[in-house]
Amino acid sequence: MKKEKNTTGLISKEEKNLALFCIDAALRHGAEQVRVSLSKSTLDTFGMLNGELDKVTHSADRSVFLYIFADRRYGTFSTNMLEEASLEQFTAKAVDAVRMLAEDRHRKLPEPIRTEKDAVTGRELGLYDDAYEDLAPEEKYGMAAEECIWGKAVCPEGIRIISEECEYSDSVDDNFVADSSGFRGRHTETSFAICSEITIEDPSGRKYSGYWWDSSPYLAGLQRGKCSGTALDKAISQISPQSHEGGSFNMVVDRSVSSRLVSPLFSALNTASIQQESSFLKGSLGKRIFSEGLTITDLARTCGKPGARLFDTEGVATRNMDIIVAGTVKTYFTNTYMALKTGMEPTVEGVSRPVLLPYSRDGRLPEDGISDAAKIMEAAGSGIYVTGFNGGNCNSTTGNFSYGIEGFAFRDGKITHPVREMVITGNMISLWNNLVCAGNDARACTRWQIPTLCFENVDFSA
Amino acid sequence: MDTSYFLNRFQVTVPQLEQLVGTALSQGGDYSDLYFEHTTYNDLLLKDNEVSSGGFHIDYGVGIRVLKGDRTGYAYSENTGMKDMLQAARAASQIAQASTCLENTGYGKGYPAGTGHGFYPEYGRWSDRKPEESIQVLKKLESLIYAREKRTVKVIARLSWSESEIMMYNSAGELTCDSRPMGSIVVSVIFSENGKNENKTSSRSFRSGYGMITDAMLLEMAEEAVSGIDERFRAVRPKGGRMPVVMGAGASGILLHEAMGHSFEADFIRKGQSVFSGMIGKKICDSSISIVDDGTLEHNRGACNFDDEGVPGQKTYMVRDGILSSYLHDRISASWSGVPSTGNGRRESFRFNPIPRMRATYMESGTADRESLIASVKKGIYVDEFSNGQVKIGEGDFTFYVKSGFLIENGRLTEPVKDINIIGNGPQALADITGVGNDLKIDNGTWTCGKDQSVPVSCGIPTVLVRNLTVGGE
Repeated sequence: MKKEKNTTGLISKEEKNLALFCIDAALRHGAEQVRVSLSKSTLDTFGMLNGELDKVTHSADRSVFLYIFADRRYGTFSTNMLEEASLEQFTAKAVDAVRMLAEDRHRKLPEPIRTEKDAVTGRELGLYDDAYEDLAPEEKYGMAAEECIWGKAVCPEGIRIISEECEYSDSVDDNFVADSSGFRGRHTETSFAICSEITIEDPSGRKYSGYWWDSSPYLAGLQRGKCSGTALDKAISQISPQSHEGGSFNMVVDRSVSSRLVSPLFSALNTASIQQESSFLKGSLGKRIFSEGLTITDLARTCGKPGARLFDTEGVATRNMDIIVAGTVKTYFTNTYMALKTGMEPTVEGVSRPVLLPYSRDGRLPEDGISDAAKIMEAAGSGIYVTGFNGGNCNSTTGNFSYGIEGFAFRDGKITHPVREMVITGNMISLWNNLVCAGNDARACTRWQIPTLCFENVDFSA
Repeated sequence: MDTSYFLNRFQVTVPQLEQLVGTALSQGGDYSDLYFEHTTYNDLLLKDNEVSSGGFHIDYGVGIRVLKGDRTGYAYSENTGMKDMLQAARAASQIAQASTCLENTGYGKGYPAGTGHGFYPEYGRWSDRKPEESIQVLKKLESLIYAREKRTVKVIARLSWSESEIMMYNSAGELTCDSRPMGSIVVSVIFSENGKNENKTSSRSFRSGYGMITDAMLLEMAEEAVSGIDERFRAVRPKGGRMPVVMGAGASGILLHEAMGHSFEADFIRKGQSVFSGMIGKKICDSSISIVDDGTLEHNRGACNFDDEGVPGQKTYMVRDGILSSYLHDRISASWSGVPSTGNGRRESFRFNPIPRMRATYMESGTADRESLIASVKKGIYVDEFSNGQVKIGEGDFTFYVKSGFLIENGRLTEPVKDINIIGNGPQALADITGVGNDLKIDNGTWTCGKDQSVPVSCGIPTVLVRNLTVGGE
């Protein structure tokens, strides 16, 4: 096996060669094909409680995953004990273990023509910020401290802050994937994040909490100094919730939680679920299933944006592709195994950076071009504005869902009062056929670009 | 096994452990502890009538914690060479810069150290078992299900097991070791009838060796996976709203976990965030109710010979005869509250610092029989199968998802219902429990609590009647 050239990053040349050693060892012990994934990461956090340093953590992880194909059988193995001698033994044992399993002729590596060729340094997508390397612990602590508003915030009369938890964290993830068919790929990214949770108490002793966060692949992109203020505003806005009768209402779902309603769609579009008869979107490919307003595209190769990646877990090259266009399903997520098993065209393993495009059923967008929660409520008139989900589930086989929600009632486009202990119930296909509007306000910090959404005729219980 | 076995496993000596905690405290910390872990995890997956995938995974390392008052510094190393461990110790020592109002109270020094208390006696080491035998377990379970129910179209079954060797050492010189097995089996079944699909699952999980797997258990799981499928096909969403809810014995213990248990965890109390803060000694529910968090149930998924701070496993009454009697403490919150730790300091792995977590949480039996509780409801709902739950600590608002149940009409179970969410407020729901059955059942499914970190837990409850909860529906 050809040795790798030296590179920079968390993963050293020696460690890359160790990964390649695993491929050699597995082949020597009788495997027909092998994929190895070597991951290293570091994570530092500085947590503040009520304005004081509360927790400091430093994490440094490394692991090797082996995907072994031997005698038309397949198994997955991992270890974080990376010394060469123990890896030799580990790999030999892994190949033996694979041979105990039943034959599965569909298990193979992807064809080399489908794998990514340009992920050499890991930094091609521009997701690594060199500023990470220059940050001293004192600066990290300073960024956590600057979030704090404990003792400084002005609350409405009778309201007091019970606790304030702020955290600054940064991380580097470095992943090197190689296989015995010649694929070599690397993905490296930094992440900087801050968050704050504030709990307040009203004069009656009732508590309310608010949470906010921001993150970015770049330090300069981090929205600093705003989390605690936003968290406090969110906590205060929930004071004195009123009971609200159940019924069928318009539902506006805030951009900070709207991905919760998209997630079941992606799960159901996975060919593994379809093949196992546990998908409510079986047989939907090429058919119009949802409202014509629903268009989701995967912009996997967008440089510098969270979620972007050049290759999936198999090493298959990602591409920018349509998932759902005007309500019609355009893509199933089909890996090599599922493609061979079902005869379907292989695509990629899951979504990378999905973007839900703006839509308005009446065809109008606000004059200033901004379509956010306030504008959408104004257009909807009355209903429930959902700002959080409290538990719940979606049955993957039927698409039936039931979620606890929290948020606000609104009338004439304006919020009237907070609501709590409400539940929405329905079916995913029906819900997405009732899509009235999708905004253009997705948060820049999220991998999934899902904006504020509005649905009509949603069943609320209260 | 004695402590020398564990010292050899992690290739360290007691003087080296002393050096590590000394380094960790060198910046002025009050207390330090070390958590060594070597876990091997194995799994086998049956899908499309064959056990055609599986594997094993090894996790090894040491976590080093430094406390300064109630402040925490934490770092870990994935190898146990002194150079890397000392580097982690120095990283964790940074917390000593923090200011704190909590004096060094010793963090509960004096818990008996040693190995094992016998809550999961050896019951067949997984590593001694031949792989073929484990494969046959899944094949047998699958054949039982196909034989029992002709509408079965897919069976997915997973058998997983792990063996963890844990060694803990702290700055009080306490050396504690534990060997922790865990075996889990989960089966998910898809049924088809007239072009319509439905699914059901069954699971069992024990802190046990392979002796947990018996023919009787597999038969019970197969029965559980297929029973009620007729009802599942004709189940409907009920009309939603507030109504009485009778919670079936066993899995309904999720009510206790979400609605009460989390709010009793003392890190939330220390921070003043819990809705139950400042209520020790106060009556919070009917005097017929006692709620326990128990680490001493033999082979239970939540059993702990020691918690992950080296404190012996215990049975803790959170509510006794309707009075809030204890929170769930780790060493930090116990020191802050001036009480002994209740042995609830748990963590997902050496990568995480311990925090207060539940173990097996259940309500003790009352006196009512199940039938009389159902008969007392004119119009409501009976629920007995659940999936995920969630709670907002500050407000106490909780929710959990009901996979199956029945309408109650005029004291009788009538139409089957499914896929609904129930939501309520913890203190209110507890106060609204008006009947407690005499049929406590611990649910031995694969419950995992996800408060920042994942840890295995279990839950249980007798049949209870809650006067008023919000039920999602059409």
